[in-house]
Amino acid sequence: MSRKLQHGAAIAAVALAMVAGCGITAEAGPGSAGSDEGGRSLEVIGEWTGAEQANFQKVLNGFTARTHIRVTYTSGGNNVNILLNSRLTGGAPPDVALVPQPGVVAEYARKGKLVPLAGDAAAAVSSNYSDAWKRLGVVNGKLYGFFFKVANKSIIWYRVDDFAAAGVRPPSTWTDFISTSKTLADSGVTPIAVPAADGWPITDWFENVYLRVAGSDKYAQLAAHRLAWTDPTVVRALTVLGGYFGTPNTIEKGATQLTFTQAIADVFGQRPKAAMLYEGDFVAGEISKLGAARVGGDAKLFTFPSIDGSAPAVVSAGDEAVQFRDSPGARALMAYLASPEAAKIWAQAGGFLSANSKLDLSAYPDESSRAMAQALVTSSLVQFDMSDQTPQAFGGQAGADEWQLLTDFVAHPGDPTATAAALEAAAARDYGSRS
Amino acid sequence: MTGAGKPFEGPARASTATGTDPARDPATTARRRVAVIPRPTGPDRPDPARQAGPPATVRRERRTVAAVFLAPALMILALLVAWPIARTVWLSLHDSAGQHWVGLRNYITIFSAADTRRALLNNAVWVAVAPTLVTVFGLIFAVLSQRVRLATVFRTILVMPMAVSLVSTGIAWRLVYDESPDRGVLNAAISVVHDVFRPASPYPGARPRDATVLSAAGHGGYASTHTFAVGTQVMLPLVGVARDTVPGGAVQAAAPGTTNGALSGVVWLDFTPGGGRVGAIDRGEQGLPGIRVQAVRDGRVVASATTDHAGRFTFTGLHGSGFTLALPASDFAAPFGGVSWLGPSLITPAIIVAYLWIWAGFAMLIISAGLGALPRETLEAARVDGASEWQVLRRVTIPLVRPVLIVVMVTLIINVLKIFDLVYVIAPDSSQDAATVVAVQMYKVSFGGSLDKGLGSALGVLLFVLVIPAIAFNVRRLRRDPS
Amino acid sequence: MSVTVTPRVPTLVPAGTAVTVPPRRSLIARVADRFGKALLQICVWTVGLFWLLPTVGLFIESLRAPADNSATGWWTVFGRPARLTLSNYLNLMQDKDILGSLWNSVLITVPSTVLVVGIGALAAYALAWIDFPGRNWVYALTVALIVVPVQVAIIPDAAVFRTLHIYGDVPAVVAFHVAFGLPFAIFLLRDFFAGIPRDLLEAARVDGGSELGIFRRVVLPIGRPAIAALAVYEFMWVWNDLLVALVFADSAHAPITYQLLSQMRTFSSNIDLIGPGAFVSMLVPLVVFFSFRRYFLHGMLAGSDK
Repeated sequence: MSRKLQHGAAIAAVALAMVAGCGITAEAGPGSAGSDEGGRSLEVIGEWTGAEQANFQKVLNGFTARTHIRVTYTSGGNNVNILLNSRLTGGAPPDVALVPQPGVVAEYARKGKLVPLAGDAAAAVSSNYSDAWKRLGVVNGKLYGFFFKVANKSIIWYRVDDFAAAGVRPPSTWTDFISTSKTLADSGVTPIAVPAADGWPITDWFENVYLRVAGSDKYAQLAAHRLAWTDPTVVRALTVLGGYFGTPNTIEKGATQLTFTQAIADVFGQRPKAAMLYEGDFVAGEISKLGAARVGGDAKLFTFPSIDGSAPAVVSAGDEAVQFRDSPGARALMAYLASPEAAKIWAQAGGFLSANSKLDLSAYPDESSRAMAQALVTSSLVQFDMSDQTPQAFGGQAGADEWQLLTDFVAHPGDPTATAAALEAAAARDYGSRS
Repeated sequence: MTGAGKPFEGPARASTATGTDPARDPATTARRRVAVIPRPTGPDRPDPARQAGPPATVRRERRTVAAVFLAPALMILALLVAWPIARTVWLSLHDSAGQHWVGLRNYITIFSAADTRRALLNNAVWVAVAPTLVTVFGLIFAVLSQRVRLATVFRTILVMPMAVSLVSTGIAWRLVYDESPDRGVLNAAISVVHDVFRPASPYPGARPRDATVLSAAGHGGYASTHTFAVGTQVMLPLVGVARDTVPGGAVQAAAPGTTNGALSGVVWLDFTPGGGRVGAIDRGEQGLPGIRVQAVRDGRVVASATTDHAGRFTFTGLHGSGFTLALPASDFAAPFGGVSWLGPSLITPAIIVAYLWIWAGFAMLIISAGLGALPRETLEAARVDGASEWQVLRRVTIPLVRPVLIVVMVTLIINVLKIFDLVYVIAPDSSQDAATVVAVQMYKVSFGGSLDKGLGSALGVLLFVLVIPAIAFNVRRLRRDPS
Repeated sequence: MSVTVTPRVPTLVPAGTAVTVPPRRSLIARVADRFGKALLQICVWTVGLFWLLPTVGLFIESLRAPADNSATGWWTVFGRPARLTLSNYLNLMQDKDILGSLWNSVLITVPSTVLVVGIGALAAYALAWIDFPGRNWVYALTVALIVVPVQVAIIPDAAVFRTLHIYGDVPAVVAFHVAFGLPFAIFLLRDFFAGIPRDLLEAARVDGGSELGIFRRVVLPIGRPAIAALAVYEFMWVWNDLLVALVFADSAHAPITYQLLSQMRTFSSNIDLIGPGAFVSMLVPLVVFFSFRRYFLHGMLAGSDK
């Protein structure tokens, strides 16, 4: 489940607000759970809760079994950043954190809050990760982290029975996708559920279309706001997307009130209301949790269709492991997390994809996750979730401008130019405030 | 006190800030009989300490004791309440990091930025609607509960929401407001009523396969794009019906065959897996039974027929040509889809209703206390004079309890100004912007993404300024109340 | 048991009861009267039912499997009550986050209540019965602080707590609650203490009792009703608070309200956790409410009497 799965308004402590600019004191505040003097107990902060937390705990147990170093895990839920800010403010950062946004990691790195990787950890990353992935962990020429858990967000899930009843097959191009949707609609089912009550699935929709319409370079430029949102490529992507969303009888009614998890239930639950759902690999876990459809049997997936002959591309996301405190234990933990052994533990448990090239694909429990993982490890055309790279106020949290504007766009997809202009206005403001 | 966490926070406090001089106001005096906390008996002398005239040494000693007794409270208040107020004012005049003086820029931002203006506007709506609504309901419930059996049970039910956290309340109301009539109880109730007046047809969402044959005719019905003469056979292909929802008994669609002297045709589900041929009956395509077809000429319905289990229909007794065929909206009536209570347009009213649910019990209690203390003789006199119950209520009761109503109103106004939890919890992310109020905005600005303590402080100061009239009132009352 | 605030006032006879109906009224009028009363009963109980609905709905959802909740509404359970299950509650008992946050709520609420009452009572006694210069000013300023919104202090207070190294921890939340609870506590208790018969205190003073002794032996026992009202009121406030916790507690020290809110991120899929969580979190204040209903209502109404 992605960080954004549990997005929402900002929860958690305050912190950074009060102390912008204040130095971080070295002594641990009362909030620090880990890091006693001997380095025998470490604290890790991540976003995972529930089943994911349990699986990550298994990974950590593997570490404790090897090193006899105790590790406590603290969940920051959807707002790991705010928890980290608060801890840094109180002078009690964790030893290691898994941060879902590379943009945030870069900010920490530039402010000198992070320990650059060296020794075993650096060696493990360099031998276990492809260049495309390694690059994402580098800030100002130094390697600060690596992606422990990644997501493939270029997937459309579908109901096998609905496709059979409509006599359609998974489409591979956008044109096919549109005609498939129309045929599904004619067959009497709603083709697709679009959970626009949560903003982030819509940003992911946009990113997939944009990557295919504009290509990798423009994607990177737009993420850094070196390209204006009024660029014709953005308008074109929005036109493609709006054309699809605006087609009558295509998206499930009440999209702007449909939350992501409800959408999963509406497609793969007891009372199916739509035939397809776009989102990442993590949907599989939710489908299984509902218990009405079997992943690989009743629920299958196809990759996000190519647009105008675009090459296969993957929009990804993930949790980047970084180190806040330097100790032999923390270094050992980082090296461990970068190892295929650590990845294997969670991969076997399911609901996990690794970017670790050394991880044997046979570790994955089913064919579909194997396929998704392979695409991630081998693809040279991996782009990281754009909204995760933007300033929080623009694309990084509930109520962020991009989320809000794209949610509105789902409700009123008629004017891509106006939406692009509004996005640019918001970006100008939000990127400006970051610098 | 806190603007948020405390559902029953405002009233007690606020009420101290309001009301009329008890000495002069008969209703208030009457209310004193219903002493809220049974006071120790004894002369009600407001300034007991002054009465004593102990020797100087004792006085000095007592002053030391007073200082010791007061010290913890005053230190805490100075450090965590008084000084921070000054500091917040100072911060509000500085930039987001609190480093550079920006004058009134943050205040200008409040009134110029779209999101804070929306927050102000919403707060205005809240203040204008919620306190009045709650007070009116409180009054109605107070009057009703006086005349009903098991009044205590009724009152307990109404007061209970106040004991529960606003987070739990918000969760409960999110469930009530769910947009799907399958899940949200409110929409489910509306759905039941809706279906009585507009029963769902067997073919909701069915639509023409081909716009060249049938086109939308308003209100959800369809009409043929061409006119037909008697003796023709009209093919009306529909799609958008799931095969397993076609009523039982439907069979392979079949054209009725041309009959002289009749206008006939077939309405069928023009879909086989993969789509099938458009506008032609493929093998396996079923007729749609029970669809009403109307023949229209010159804008008038001249005949109507219903399809059989093969989808066939025939109009007999028609002559000539120029007939348009119409499928009325009742063939396609969709079931009630649910009102988007938590959508951007209804979100504030929806939250106000939840607020009413919480606070009506409070208003009812206070007003009941007021009613209970009314001079019964006055009411009796009015009744004996032949006034109807309604007249008694309007002319006698309400004027008499007016001071209490004002207490309730002012209490609620202050509470509403600071409202936070309810909005923050009930509004889903897609409606947060539409629902935002000053306190929510303050939290988001200060602790959310932009971490702007200048603007956050300015919003805090603004809230403070809005409740200052109440503070002034508190102090004034205190001084008038001989103390 | 009585929720009314006038339990001891015998004159509270509901208006419009038979007492007020003159015997000479016509049959039609009496029938209309009967009919009207029946209608009234129906109206009132419809309202009551409506008021129960959100809570009942939440309760039933908390007893249903998550997959059921995402497919159908809670009322369908009346057709198939067999589908109710306690498994959500059992899962809740395994959930360290929720259990921890319930415990955090206790850790925050109990000290806050005790401190507010204790510190407030001392100050209130001094303000009521010890004469010293500037007393009225101190009192007036305190009362003025009653309606100060927390928003006007949270940003600087966060800095204070950071300096004290308690930011994010339970003491920070408690300190803030105490600070913002005190003005009302002082107001309420001072008002009540002022009503204590002077002779009682003077007698104690003449007997040579120290002020602290008088406070303990005379003022506190007499002030019990007000103190209880304040304590119940304060307890419920702190237990139900969200904003203060949101600002001053980090997720490791989050009370239940905060924890529920973070679980709401995944609202529809987590209803199996949120439903029972919300219900358990309701139980504590509801138990307090029903046990101390009289005090609670008194606390609420205290201001309106003033």
